[in-house]
Amino acid sequence: MTDMTIEDYLAQGGKLTSPGNVPARYRGELLRLMASFVDSELAGAAGFADTINDAPGIRNRIAAAKITQEKLDHAGRVLQVMGEFGGDMAAYDRRHDWAARVDRDADLGAARHGDDMRLSVFHYPLQGYVDAVVLNVLMGLATVVQLDEMKRVSYAPLADAFREIAPREARHVELGLNGLRQIAGTDEGRAKAKAAIEYWMPRVNATFGQSGSKRYDTQARFGLRHTQNDKLRETWSQRATDLLLPMGLA
Amino acid sequence: MSRFLPLHITDIRRDTRDAVVVTLRPRPEDAAAFDFTQGQYLTFRHDFDGEELRRSYSICAGRDEGFLRVGIKRVDGGTFSTWANEELSPGMMIEAMPPMGRFFTDLDPAASRHYLGFAGGSGITPVLSIIKTVLKREPKSRFTLVHANRGINTIMFREELEDLKNLYLGRLAVIHVLETEGQEIDLFTGRIDAEKMAALFENWIDAASVDTAFICGPEPMMLTIADSLKKAGLDEAQIKFELFASGQPGRAKKKAVSKDAVQSGDMTEAVVTLDGATRSFRMPKQGESLLDAALAADMDVPYACKGGVCSTCRAKVLEGEAEMAINHALEDYEVAQGYVLTCQCYPLTDRIVVSYDE
Repeated sequence: MTDMTIEDYLAQGGKLTSPGNVPARYRGELLRLMASFVDSELAGAAGFADTINDAPGIRNRIAAAKITQEKLDHAGRVLQVMGEFGGDMAAYDRRHDWAARVDRDADLGAARHGDDMRLSVFHYPLQGYVDAVVLNVLMGLATVVQLDEMKRVSYAPLADAFREIAPREARHVELGLNGLRQIAGTDEGRAKAKAAIEYWMPRVNATFGQSGSKRYDTQARFGLRHTQNDKLRETWSQRATDLLLPMGLA
Repeated sequence: MSRFLPLHITDIRRDTRDAVVVTLRPRPEDAAAFDFTQGQYLTFRHDFDGEELRRSYSICAGRDEGFLRVGIKRVDGGTFSTWANEELSPGMMIEAMPPMGRFFTDLDPAASRHYLGFAGGSGITPVLSIIKTVLKREPKSRFTLVHANRGINTIMFREELEDLKNLYLGRLAVIHVLETEGQEIDLFTGRIDAEKMAALFENWIDAASVDTAFICGPEPMMLTIADSLKKAGLDEAQIKFELFASGQPGRAKKKAVSKDAVQSGDMTEAVVTLDGATRSFRMPKQGESLLDAALAADMDVPYACKGGVCSTCRAKVLEGEAEMAINHALEDYEVAQGYVLTCQCYPLTDRIVVSYDE
């Protein structure tokens, strides 16, 4: 009855459900994918924490605190799935300085940097409240698109975790858009926001990876990915434009 | 890190010719650690001639039954399941990790839901745990089980399912599909395929009424059923999967035999396999990890933390010897089988053969 190989099963859209039934190469790619998400959330939260103090008014500070807190929670949820593969997840968290940043004008492109797996965009420092709101909106929109893809991942426990995380990340974007609308209400605010968009747009764009990436092929073979990088990038770009346009920011 | 705790075997019952049902009791101090959720599994370990094997078996008890119980079906050539079927007896101790797995949904006593379960052979084990717990804890919910087996004699928990039907009148429906035995209704004879699924939805099960579907069985069955459920209108979040043991190797594997003792040269010839392709390169024995050397040789090998804690870069040494600087991720039995964290791995021999594919 079970004359089907795991590889065939995955190629036909099958789901794996525990560390005990994943093949070796799948395991490596899956852990890498989870590490990328965890490191990005931890680095993102560490960078965004300063925004709690920078935000004007108690409501905006509560929004910033909620976003920071939930990003840490999301990292914890995926870290728990990673931990079932045997690693020491407390040691994992202590391994890196999640608040560390490169210079504002450094150019990392899409490449990983240093010893952690955070997306390159999370290596750049934030410069004040408007800058933070803009990154939260642009990268938040990217995260929503990327999570939409990751909800289909062939490792069922991770897909479940992403399904729980996705609506809350979408809420972070809404909170960001509220902030951005307030900012765009004045000429000065709009000018600042435009400058920040110009800075962050290409850096968020880079998080979608290279077109025709070889790693994508490996991941797709394992059912870890389903939609090409360029297609996801296009979806994100369109959504960002649609939302920024009415605010006079696109 | 994983933690094994002793469990006392309090009862063994033969359920079918090929399966035993084992009741277990943790020590009082471990009771909280073994407080399981319906649908979870236990990972056991046992030493066979100096080699440790680990196997996971689903819990078949309901959450309110007050004991821990697993069903173990003997797999042809399976070292662990054969041992469990032939050697276990009441009074013995066996070691297991606390329950794991996410093959369940949150329950709500006020909810009135329709659950649909598909179990192939011993795939009934976690589904039985779910059925018992759901019927007890959600008094307004009902459960429809489609249970696929070879023949009537191989149906695990057949009597227990009958008892549950009587205990929860009108709330549990069981449809047996038997591969080799004709039944009054043709639909229930043979293997579950797309056609059978369509007929089930047409005549027996209202797909629109289903809140959550649970599937546990071998790979082809999982694919067929998931596909049909989606066609019937269920979305991914409504379908829960548990793939059972077939991905686990049946026999104990021997540790990689090292052909060389520690050797004196400064350089190593590294032979590394990734995705079926093998590359050779020279690397120093000191100062550069095997992972960094492979990356420098343009191999797209997996890694994440580079600190010996996450195990993303795990690979197997097939020939030669290496040492690990830090290891917070691999357990003794994995190291004994030749696995290394390549980010922490420094060759000791003049040649080392490593695979990321095993």
